[in-house]
Amino acid sequence: MNDRFIRIVKILVESFPKLLVQCLKITIPLTVLSFFFGLILALILALVQIANIKGLKQFARFYVWIFRGTPLMLQLFIIFYGLPSFGIYFKGFPAAVIAFSLNLAAYNSEIIRSAIQAVPIGQTEAGYMIGLNYFQVMVRIVLPQAARIAFPPLFSSLIGMTKDTSLASSITVIEMMSVAKRIAAVYYEPFWMYMETGFIYLMICTILTKLQADFEKSLEWKQPDEVKVAMQTVEEDNRNHKFRWLGPGKVK
Amino acid sequence: MLGVKNLHKSFGSNEVLKGIDFNVENGEVIAIIGSSGSGKTTLLRCMAFLEQADDGIYTFDELNKDIRTITRKEIKELRMKMGFVFQSFNLFRNKTAIQNVMEGLVVARKMNSEEARKISLAMLEKVGMADRIDYYPDQLSGGQQQRVAIARALATNPEVILFDEPTSALDPELTGEVLDVMVKLAKEGITMVIVTHEMEFARNVADRIIFMEDGVVVEEGPADEILSNPKKEATKRFLRRILRNEEE
Ligand SMILES: Nc1ncnc2c1ncn2[C@@H]1O[C@H](COP(=O)(O)OP(=O)(O)OP(=O)(O)O)[C@@H](O)[C@H]1O
Ligand SMILES: [Mg+2]
Repeated sequence: MNDRFIRIVKILVESFPKLLVQCLKITIPLTVLSFFFGLILALILALVQIANIKGLKQFARFYVWIFRGTPLMLQLFIIFYGLPSFGIYFKGFPAAVIAFSLNLAAYNSEIIRSAIQAVPIGQTEAGYMIGLNYFQVMVRIVLPQAARIAFPPLFSSLIGMTKDTSLASSITVIEMMSVAKRIAAVYYEPFWMYMETGFIYLMICTILTKLQADFEKSLEWKQPDEVKVAMQTVEEDNRNHKFRWLGPGKVK
Repeated sequence: MLGVKNLHKSFGSNEVLKGIDFNVENGEVIAIIGSSGSGKTTLLRCMAFLEQADDGIYTFDELNKDIRTITRKEIKELRMKMGFVFQSFNLFRNKTAIQNVMEGLVVARKMNSEEARKISLAMLEKVGMADRIDYYPDQLSGGQQQRVAIARALATNPEVILFDEPTSALDPELTGEVLDVMVKLAKEGITMVIVTHEMEFARNVADRIIFMEDGVVVEEGPADEILSNPKKEATKRFLRRILRNEEE
């Protein structure tokens, strides 16, 4: 029993740097690149739908339908194993980036589209009435507000992506999960190996969650220190306002 | 100055405006009254092109055109000469009070931001909001938000400002501060079209009152005459109901 315990600890300690290196070298870059390209594509897909551009809007709907309606693993396989029959070859890593980006774009475009639609139409109308054009209204009024709405679900999608990169091991990409599998096979300690790997994923996601909280705070449209004071004065003002035009009761 | 003739608008099969004739002269203050659903908001929104009217003639200064043939470019130019104050304020939530007021000057009219800031400060001063310029809309009460919205509409020096029930979304104790500001504007000779349910206010500031019902203008005339001495049965009925409500 004691020997087994020491053996496991030794395996874990020895494998930890290997996992971490693979995480830093492959898992994180794969996540960051895929999320970055996926987000840009998602924004384009969402905007052509919002702007109601004929043809492109239908294409975007079709795209979302395809990429949300089929498994991510299948998309990986088609790009890595399927495309070579048409003479298109990708190495494992780029194939994974492409598949993850395309897949993320479908999900994230829906997040962005619904966030834009959640900005009240009155904001747009007010923008038009002070003389802004469509582009100015979008860039200066609607998108900043939509960004705040979209931020939490986009972050969830990023956290999801971090873990989904493990699927890349199925197309020969040696990311953290592949390394874990190998070590587990060598030492016959799958339980502890996978627990350790899970721990590293959990740490990444914990850091991301912390980042999310900080970002969200910075996105608030309030001067943090003054909020309390402001709300107090508002309430005071309301209480102290003596002037009344008519008796009580709105007419309606 | 601004006017429509024979304006028609339907939502699906529901005809909301059934041939409205309406006109406002320079410096005039017009109050539009009428019961809920009579088409007041729709009329205002059609004049600002926030709704697309089905038929009618549109006049603004020297422009006089079939409303269906007005181009997007013309709409943009017309809006540059108009202000609109919404029932629900619609201040830009991602901008402070002063940024809200400056936006139309700096972005739409390419004014340099120093000058724009000066004008915006003056406008916020006028509506009594000079001490809240760096507050975001969420940090302001409804009455304060609406006053900033009025400053935003004023800043671009429009030829006419359209108000859609500017106090209806406010608690009764907050309507006074907004109506105060509007009285001040009326005295300065700013051309205003105001949809309102505040009869006393209408009597005090409006040169002319227009009573709408069921998508038509039933009666119009000098404020006192419409309120004290209405000719049409529908107007009398409406005023009786309103006055009874106010007494309660
Ligand atoms: N976007 C819309 N789609 C469909 N019907 C609409 C729309 N906007 C208004 N209507 C209808 O048009 C009619 C007139 O509405 P409008 O808002 O102009 O009335 P109103 O006189 O402003 O009423 P209130 O005093 O309640 O504000 C109503 O029957 C309403 O249901
Ligand atoms: Mg209305």
